[in-house]
Amino acid sequence: MNHFIQKTLATGLLSFTFSPVQAEVAVIVNPGLAKTPSQAEVANIFLGKDKSLRGIDHKDWNATKETFYAAVASKSEAQLKSYWSGLVFTGKGQPLPSEATDADVLAKVAAQADAIGYVDSTVLNDSVKVLFTLP
Amino acid sequence: MHRFNLMGVAVCLASTSAVALEQGEYRLNGFGTAAISRVAGADDAKGYGISGQTTDSWRGDQLSKLGGQFSYGLSDQLTATVQTVAKPEQDDWRLQLEWAYLAYAVNDQLTVRAGRLRPNAFMFSETLDVGYSYPWLRLPDEVYSQMPISNYEGADVLYNLPTALGTVGLQASYGQAVNRNIFIHALDDRLDADYKKLLTGSISLATDAIGTFRYSYTESTLSVDHSEEFKGKFMSLGHQYDDGSWVTNAEVINRRSPVSEHDAFYVMVGHRFGDFLPHVTYAQHDEHDAGRDSSWALGLNYSLSANVTLKTEYKRVESNDGYNGSFVPAYNTSEPTFDGDIISVGADFVF
Repeated sequence: MNHFIQKTLATGLLSFTFSPVQAEVAVIVNPGLAKTPSQAEVANIFLGKDKSLRGIDHKDWNATKETFYAAVASKSEAQLKSYWSGLVFTGKGQPLPSEATDADVLAKVAAQADAIGYVDSTVLNDSVKVLFTLP
Repeated sequence: MHRFNLMGVAVCLASTSAVALEQGEYRLNGFGTAAISRVAGADDAKGYGISGQTTDSWRGDQLSKLGGQFSYGLSDQLTATVQTVAKPEQDDWRLQLEWAYLAYAVNDQLTVRAGRLRPNAFMFSETLDVGYSYPWLRLPDEVYSQMPISNYEGADVLYNLPTALGTVGLQASYGQAVNRNIFIHALDDRLDADYKKLLTGSISLATDAIGTFRYSYTESTLSVDHSEEFKGKFMSLGHQYDDGSWVTNAEVINRRSPVSEHDAFYVMVGHRFGDFLPHVTYAQHDEHDAGRDSSWALGLNYSLSANVTLKTEYKRVESNDGYNGSFVPAYNTSEPTFDGDIISVGADFVF
């Protein structure tokens, strides 16, 4: 019985941890930005190929970051790291500046005219403009 | 939740350096490979590989290496970078200064660099030592043993332009590499070589849908063991594709000089299944009027974490007409056959 409870608890915890009930990921820009980059252009910005906008990344790997990179660049955490190591160790790129929380990313994008970021859609407010959302 | 947080902390530690370099900022990054390799059944050879260290005993000094890079922002536009790599060269471990340069970012598209740099001669020439950035444990020897130097002193210009077709990258460099040791398989020895007027130009197009295409041309005057100078040319045409599931790499190269002419290529295909990446590579190398060596390689990679990939590889090499290719001849018979089974096991990591 004890075993059963432990197992149920563990399963519950695991499913909570790895597939939390969660909203969409919104790609956001400053409301003053005139252009509306496509998903492919957003991917290029976050892969360091296009520096026309200032991408603000998330510091830690989290569900939002995972959803974003899977959707726009088809990359997992390890694949993203492999990609950046090819640039960092040839002097051809440095990972983007990053923020610790969704709220920090939102604040940075709201404060910088040419900033672009992505956040969990539950934190959205009027200080930013949503380009598109990713399920 | 705690479990996830712990993983988060590990990831955080590994990526604290994720900010752009501004004045006074610095970055410390590292990479390495810990791997062992051996060749079996190569009765007429003493060894195999780019510098011949793969022998019939398990050895770690063919593939293993450890590198560290330090970058410092002298101003918002000027960055100083130094990269050292500890790696074996034949039987000695050496600490090499592979990169040491100043980079000046003229604007978002244009960067000028000067110092010790790597020649961008082949597709993986610049990341030769960063195994984590490519799928193999051992880069196809057939192609990568054709470029004997890993760095030069000089300058290069990098230009990047996003276009409707994809991102266009242009790179041009000029410099020299003198007093370098280049490994000659047939001699089982290193010779002193001077590369002067070393000129490289490359163009790449990174598309969203059909991968990255790359072409490069390199030429240099060359003097080996204080010989008269002669001219050498290297050409490479390559393609890379990775959609998250399918991974392919292909490259065809030509190297020519008055002394010899070489053609080589490889084609690699892999598919990811979760954290596993099985892959297969065919590689072939022809030296004109000499012979051919070719190989099939089967590999299985496992992504252990965001910083570590475990890799295993089995490679079967065959050659014809008694041609030694990337084998170091044993000179134990007048009609040698050069073939063998190479097994490599190890891990690539970044930190």
